[in-house]
Amino acid sequence: MDLLLKGGILHDPVNDWEGPAEILIKGDRIEAVSLSLGPVEVPVLDLKGKIILPGMVDIHAHLREPGNEGKETIATGCAAAVAGGFTAVACMPNTDPPVDSKEIVNYIKERARQADLARVYPIGALTGGLKGQEIAPMWEMAQEGVRGFSDDGRPVMNGGLMLRAMQFALVLGLPVISHCEDLSLSGDGVVHDGVHGYRLGLPVIPAVSEAVMVAREILLQQKVGGKLHLAHISAGESVALLRWARESGINLTAEVTPHHLLLTEEAVEYFNTSAKMNPPLRSSADRDALLEALQEGLIEIIATDHAPHRLQEKEADFLNAPFGVTGLETAFPLLWTKIVEQGILSLSELVKCLSTVPANLLGVPGGNLTPGSPADLVVIEPHKEYPVNTDSFFSLGQNTPFKDWRLKGFPVLTMVDGDIKMWEGKVKGFSKDFPELKGLFIKQGSK
Amino acid sequence: MLPKDMLSLKDFSLEALQEILQRAAYYKKKDGDVFSSLKGKNIAISFWEPSTRTRISFELAVQKLGGRIINFIPELSSEKKGENADDTIKTLQSIGADALVFRHSSPGIFHRVSQFVEIPFISGGEGCYQHPTQALLDIFTLLESGVKLSGLQVVMVGDILHSRVARSHFYAFPVFGANLTLVAPPVLLPLELVPPGVNWSYNLEEVLPSGDIIYLLRVQKERQGKSLIPSLGEYTALYGLNEKRLSLLKEDACLMHPGPVNIGIEISSGVIKTFENVYPDRILFQDQVRNGVYVRMAVLDLLLAGRVI
Repeated sequence: MDLLLKGGILHDPVNDWEGPAEILIKGDRIEAVSLSLGPVEVPVLDLKGKIILPGMVDIHAHLREPGNEGKETIATGCAAAVAGGFTAVACMPNTDPPVDSKEIVNYIKERARQADLARVYPIGALTGGLKGQEIAPMWEMAQEGVRGFSDDGRPVMNGGLMLRAMQFALVLGLPVISHCEDLSLSGDGVVHDGVHGYRLGLPVIPAVSEAVMVAREILLQQKVGGKLHLAHISAGESVALLRWARESGINLTAEVTPHHLLLTEEAVEYFNTSAKMNPPLRSSADRDALLEALQEGLIEIIATDHAPHRLQEKEADFLNAPFGVTGLETAFPLLWTKIVEQGILSLSELVKCLSTVPANLLGVPGGNLTPGSPADLVVIEPHKEYPVNTDSFFSLGQNTPFKDWRLKGFPVLTMVDGDIKMWEGKVKGFSKDFPELKGLFIKQGSK
Repeated sequence: MLPKDMLSLKDFSLEALQEILQRAAYYKKKDGDVFSSLKGKNIAISFWEPSTRTRISFELAVQKLGGRIINFIPELSSEKKGENADDTIKTLQSIGADALVFRHSSPGIFHRVSQFVEIPFISGGEGCYQHPTQALLDIFTLLESGVKLSGLQVVMVGDILHSRVARSHFYAFPVFGANLTLVAPPVLLPLELVPPGVNWSYNLEEVLPSGDIIYLLRVQKERQGKSLIPSLGEYTALYGLNEKRLSLLKEDACLMHPGPVNIGIEISSGVIKTFENVYPDRILFQDQVRNGVYVRMAVLDLLLAGRVI
């Protein structure tokens, strides 16, 4: 639809815009961005006091479908995405069956099309069945639109296989996303090898189990030189290796999650399973190293690692409860309140981490509001504070350690392809009272 | 008021622990008398891990206090997930148990289930997390032997990493004023585990001369599949208490062990014989077992009464 967004403050780092802007949307595209567009014959949406950003692109989410629709479906995951201000989501292939063939890729794309909310970019498996034994049909999946390859959740322990998969991905021009974990070091661990985990008598996932694989991937990348992306970095040792890679001129990207930026191993006290994830929450020194890496630009992407589970699964014993936390609906308010308002990153820097860099890595539209590009954007309410209410999540997963945290910066409008998908917490196709938009707009008197 | 449950000694003040120990001393002194403080009470005992002494001493404690035992023996082979224990606990509560005594291999399970259980929940050992009554009976045994806990040097040797007894003693020994030194090879002694104020060493011979109490922990044979150390033989060569190392001990040093003892691994049979024959007052293994009954009587009594008197 055609629409004029008026009165908001735009942050678009690609176009170096930080300030008031009027944005004219024609159909599914950004038509014009200007300080003042003058009178136009389209409905006007007054966004006074609000912030407008390019839609966020989550490079790391688990949408669970096919196979685990009790935890999440592509539709509910996409609803959670637009509720959280994400206009695009890359979904990891550890479904059942895993995404290791064109049929599953197409199934996911079809389900995403039916949901008609966020853009969904499947990530294909790196190895058949995620078994770490044979390289998956990467070309075939690339033809159907996967935007990267990963065995996320199951690290590729065979270095030779990883090398050869990276070499093939180079030809396809797509990133390989590595979940860095040496299973021989992490074993049956469930928590960080720090004070809290050891006191609780729980088996540990040592920081070094991540770092040794980060080192391996960096050295493989030095040899191959394609697009390598390291998922959910959690350890200070890994940050030191990223710094070495940068100084050595080895190009790669890395991501960090909001929970690793904001929480430490302390959160597992009292065997709190909502703080059980892999990689685990680590020490405050690790957390500080991650924040520093973010500021330095060693880590350029923030991804949610959205991993929904049924409540009763998370209510199991710490050893048996599944790893993972939901993230799509809390990421932006957390980062706005705890990172931007605390002065750790500017809003434009945050937009790069959440939108521009991930869009570039995936090679997809988004990450900026340049005229001519798809009208994918999000509007943020920066001042009002609300508690995180898991009951109102669109995700089927309520497993978050941030329940009841009081946050600002909740998205109030998410638009994909010029179509409003979320309005004040209501999601198209999900909320019965998703508003009849026309009534909300102030018609501009034509002159 | 006492906490409802005994999952971790940390939930108990020093005064509360002293009250329990005094009650245990009373029961030991009056041994043979008939008590009825658990008369009409049903104590459910369910051990989801093998146990001999802890289980039997809880059973005996209930009987000596005139209570009834509901003995639930789980099908240990199907014990894989927490759900089974949950159902059992709910069932035991519904059929009228007045308290639950459980052992389980999964750390944290008791914290979780105690939230939906209204009756006292007493840990008989929870994974690698805590074994509160063992630590209490150790303290009782030391007090009874007449040693002064304040300033006492306790050297604890063995598989600290996997020991719930050690984790309970991280609180118990210091709160009673004793100094604790942990000794093990690095793989069994991650330094992140060592609490503030507790000493550690990788070298047994270096610390043996300082110990008033040498507290030996079992090196668990069942963990050897993980190849944590080259072999039990090599462990024994470095950390076993053998005849050669006896000369390093203080002349009044006492030996303790939570059992069961792996003779020939953490302690040689020769050392045990020497102590049993020559210094019977300095080997406290059997006293620990014996005192377990009185300490558990006190715990049951006071937790079911709901307060320290």
